[in-house]
Amino acid sequence: MRPVQPMRSRSLLALSTTALALPGIAGADAPPLQNTLSYKISNYKEDDLSRSEVLFGDLDRYDIDVHQFKLITPVGRNYALQVDANYESLSGASPWFTTQGFDGKPVVNLSGASGIRDRRSEISVGGSYYLENGRIGGNIGYSEEDDYRASYVGINGERHFNNDLTTLAIGLSYSDDAIFPTDAPLFNRVVSADKSSSSVFVSVSQIIDSVSTMQSALSITEQSGFLNDPYKLRDIRPGDKTQIAWSNSYRHFFLNADAALHLNYRYYHDDFGVSSHTFDMAWHQNLGDIFRLVPTLRYYSQSAADFFTNQDNFLAPLTSFQSSDYRLSAFGAVSGGLGLIADRGDWTATLTAERYLANEQYSAYEVKQPSTALVQYNRVSLGIEYSF
Amino acid sequence: MLARMRCLLLLVVCALAVNACTPVRAWERGQLARTEMAWDADGLESALNDHIFFSKEASSGGNSAAGGGCGCN
Amino acid sequence: MATVLTLRHSLQSTIAILAISIGSSALAAEAGEQAPNFTLPSIHAEQPAIALEGLRGKTVYVDFWASWCAPCLKSLPLYNAMYHKYKDQGFEIVAINVDNPVEDGLDFLLDTPLDFLIPSDPDGVTAELFEVIGMPTSYLIAPDGTVKMVHMGFRDGDMELIEEEVIKLLADN
Repeated sequence: MRPVQPMRSRSLLALSTTALALPGIAGADAPPLQNTLSYKISNYKEDDLSRSEVLFGDLDRYDIDVHQFKLITPVGRNYALQVDANYESLSGASPWFTTQGFDGKPVVNLSGASGIRDRRSEISVGGSYYLENGRIGGNIGYSEEDDYRASYVGINGERHFNNDLTTLAIGLSYSDDAIFPTDAPLFNRVVSADKSSSSVFVSVSQIIDSVSTMQSALSITEQSGFLNDPYKLRDIRPGDKTQIAWSNSYRHFFLNADAALHLNYRYYHDDFGVSSHTFDMAWHQNLGDIFRLVPTLRYYSQSAADFFTNQDNFLAPLTSFQSSDYRLSAFGAVSGGLGLIADRGDWTATLTAERYLANEQYSAYEVKQPSTALVQYNRVSLGIEYSF
Repeated sequence: MLARMRCLLLLVVCALAVNACTPVRAWERGQLARTEMAWDADGLESALNDHIFFSKEASSGGNSAAGGGCGCN
Repeated sequence: MATVLTLRHSLQSTIAILAISIGSSALAAEAGEQAPNFTLPSIHAEQPAIALEGLRGKTVYVDFWASWCAPCLKSLPLYNAMYHKYKDQGFEIVAINVDNPVEDGLDFLLDTPLDFLIPSDPDGVTAELFEVIGMPTSYLIAPDGTVKMVHMGFRDGDMELIEEEVIKLLADN
């Protein structure tokens, strides 16, 4: 018997509501001198699962188109204003629950045979005030989907020391989200729930020599409220979560090669029991005055959450934590990409493509229960920027 | 003897550290001003990546711009 | 023995660096002080060398700029207009280019010709003399060689402020 496919939004497949990081006009010593308008269009498409992995329903996973807009404009002598707007449209299916397959191994059941369709819009506005030795900024934003609404606010500041060789930055942000799952009564889901998130970050940037810089940043986030995924048949998580992330970045310019190396490492840990390491690197190779080629490589590995199970147990009491969400399983992911940038006068165009593969065999952490729903995807983006 | 060696080592490390961070004068920062040397050369690209990884993995944060809300996938 | 020698050397250079950074140079170019003299080759190889002392008697605006400094590039065409406006009143602009390699500075000048004196200081020797701590930095120098104004950075509305000071100084002399 084929399970009834509910209309659903992908919004709640999020594990937490820490945001779409709003890029600030960070790291600048002085306000921008020109207006900059940027637009990027991207397509994200997950690989289909195979029939051996999926018992019933569709094999297609997500196919998402994303539009991003950004405007930065100087205001007067000491201020700058930034406006960001994003629009996404999605179709596809997502894991609903896992059961035991014919051979005893867990299989995934996807939802959305009729096709999930969802749209997400987001807008945020930020301002910065530039002082002699630093900057103070703030931003406010709002996002909306069929079943999800989020409002957020943040303030941040940075101060330069040592003749601008050292920069210290701090920031605070808060977001308040409301969830109202579609078809709630039909599938015995929670009708509406709230979640809130507070975050603080601190970072230090240092110029090492005339061709090298480094940065170290620490962020701590506290979430509370309804953290379960209501679209999963059985998903029960604690009502609060504390997470910490520590990132380190290094940039070095090679004069002989006319290229820059970017190295980043992040360590993450939260009290759901997930720890992770992320390494990524990029090589920015200049080709003459106009073009730049940027190959990128990323390795990610996470441990499983304490309550992850790759096979839903519907007999367990509703008070015990449990989730078969693949994003809480132990796995590793490798991704590689290539970007081509053309920079001429007031215009810049960027074309990027990336391939991502998640697999329990890539995991640096012990995998007790591999998830069968790990993703592989392709992403392609075309961006354009104009200064005036 | 061991304590003295440790003390000397600490002193050397500190001295070397100060020497290692050569003060870069204002007029020597040409290479650092390059777009490809920026922390975030393509803001939309890093925002998109953060958004995707945050939806497909359990980790988030660590960026200079942490915070805000999205019930996003 | 070798470790003790390297340790002493490290300590000595550490102390030296600390001393230099804490102490202030007597050649610092601050308002009210005499501007340090310098002689630099012109960025245009065929033009003669430029010496600040040779401009004694004129009102001189010394500016440090580079092709990689966006506010510098924004200011230069505005300075060119200001130069033409006041050059008949004994006003000179000396825009010291600190690009290394020098070709970067010359490339910019190909697209944006400028009519005032442009010395080349690729090793930053004169920039060091003037203790430049940010790019751009400019110094308005009276005909007697004293620094009247030091201006760091270049933001919207700065041109009006600078021109005001230039007019005032030209009127005083």
